[in-house]
Amino acid sequence: MLSIEPGRRSANGAGGEADSDMSEIVLQQASQSSVTADRSRALGRMALVDGIFREATRAAAVIVLVILGGVIISLVHGSLPAVRAFGFGFLVSQSWNPVTENFGALPAIYGTIMTSVIAMLIAVPVGLGIAIFLTELCPYVLRRPIGTAIELLAGIPSIIYGIWGLFVLAPFLQTHVQPALIAAFGDIPVFSTLFAGPPYGIGLLTAGFILAIMVLPFVASISRDVFETVPPVLKEAASGIGCTTWEVMRYVVMPYTRVGVIGGVMLGLGRALGETMAVTFVIGNAHKISGSLLAPGTTISATIANEFTEAVGDLYTSALIELGLILFVITFIVLAIARYMLMRIEQKSA
Amino acid sequence: MNAAVHAPKEPPTKVTVRSLDFYYGADRSLKNISLPLHANKVTAFIGPSGCGKSTLLRVMNRMYDLYPGQRAEGEVLLDGENILDPAIDLNALRARVGMIFQKPTPFPMSIYENIAFGIRLYEKLPRADLDARVEAALRGAALWDEVKDKLQASGLGLSGGQQQRLCIARSVAVQPEVILFDEPCSALDPISTAKVEELIDELTSRYTIAIVTHNMQQAVRVSDYTAFMYLGELVEFGETDEVFNKPKEKRTLDYITGRFG
Repeated sequence: MLSIEPGRRSANGAGGEADSDMSEIVLQQASQSSVTADRSRALGRMALVDGIFREATRAAAVIVLVILGGVIISLVHGSLPAVRAFGFGFLVSQSWNPVTENFGALPAIYGTIMTSVIAMLIAVPVGLGIAIFLTELCPYVLRRPIGTAIELLAGIPSIIYGIWGLFVLAPFLQTHVQPALIAAFGDIPVFSTLFAGPPYGIGLLTAGFILAIMVLPFVASISRDVFETVPPVLKEAASGIGCTTWEVMRYVVMPYTRVGVIGGVMLGLGRALGETMAVTFVIGNAHKISGSLLAPGTTISATIANEFTEAVGDLYTSALIELGLILFVITFIVLAIARYMLMRIEQKSA
Repeated sequence: MNAAVHAPKEPPTKVTVRSLDFYYGADRSLKNISLPLHANKVTAFIGPSGCGKSTLLRVMNRMYDLYPGQRAEGEVLLDGENILDPAIDLNALRARVGMIFQKPTPFPMSIYENIAFGIRLYEKLPRADLDARVEAALRGAALWDEVKDKLQASGLGLSGGQQQRLCIARSVAVQPEVILFDEPCSALDPISTAKVEELIDELTSRYTIAIVTHNMQQAVRVSDYTAFMYLGELVEFGETDEVFNKPKEKRTLDYITGRFG
């Protein structure tokens, strides 16, 4: 359609010339028509460039869909042997025996979800606290250094978190924190089960801690960024009727930025669910579900990373690929829930 | 510099500003300001942009305190108490001295909650009493008839003029003594402006009002007293009729007749 445009314009121009009666100044007419011709050439060029630009951006968008589709297809294809062999039982079985080739995903699913839940329970309140401090309370000179430190935290490679977790955090938790937890919750029902058993150091809780530290920068820096989008005059208005800083945050800033904060939390959760290296170091890699958070466990990504190289036999490999597919589905469900929540919030406020 | 016109018939003073200086960092943006706000009267502040009108308003409820590097020197007495005293309770002060901003600032919550929120900060009321207070505040801001059927709808869905009246209702609901208006009509259409001006007129029976405006006609229409400020100084202060009809200072005359500013 765009390519027709310049043609039509020059036609109009010619018509105009014909109308503006003969004689007159021929020279002027000539120069006018050459201007029109130049312009229509330029417009033609622009239409071409515009078309190329549009197709290029469209191609970029399509590539994403193609890659996504390709990943899903190959995951499904790769996991077919395991699906055929174990069926739905794969999701609820706790056995993981490479020798007899009997596999079940439940311990890995449980570990993935539990470590992520622990991580979010710690990282969300602390991250919001950091963001509130940085935007509202922090002395001006400290804002930049602390903000930069948090962003650096996000840039540390996960393998380093893994090493640090194994050699520093796990022994520290083993000698100081875990014995205290066991003693403190020993007599309380439910909690006594959650914090039962010998302090191994490594286990679900330690993995949750490491994940919390890794997720924290996402939650903190995104929350800070969205808090800063609140118009100062809105905060002044809240202060103006006598709100304390806490009341301004709780009743004005938080509702105003809810969507953005949830986005940050979900991004963090996405990272927690899929994080591999650091978790593999500190979770203990045991294919069993234990009631205690102090006991070793495993996650989907840790299992895949640990065992893919030594997976002999098609069924073993296929079982690991099916684990990958399950992780994909879990992440997808989390994202879908996040979208749904955002939609509900927007509908309510509109 | 002209101080207040000290006539014997003068009404009681609610706020007294005495030798006030204000600094943004090293910049001195208010220079030795002294003037009264008379109780239950409207005082208009006029002057070109950047003359310090809004700054003066923001001193009266210590709003500048939210930002580092801003400080005021001198005295601002509210019923004889110096509000620049660092020991003063800022939240209590801001409940006594309400503020309406240039842009409407409804909170991200329902119309009802916008009003009830401020009341709940100070009082624990049974539901029925709270409802009555919300209704009274909305009626006080001439908004009740327009919103009574959609109290649970978001305050952000109202028109600009309605939002501004919602903000006035919110401020009134906290039962302040002084209300500061910082160019409250500059984002509103003429009809909404007329409504807000009418409202200001009604509010004077209960509150002391200060209003910053760029609109001379508005100053004439709504105010009893007018202060003309220029480059951080108070050039002239007096009854509105006198300031506009026979100003003592040439700069005032030039400004109100549109020769500069």
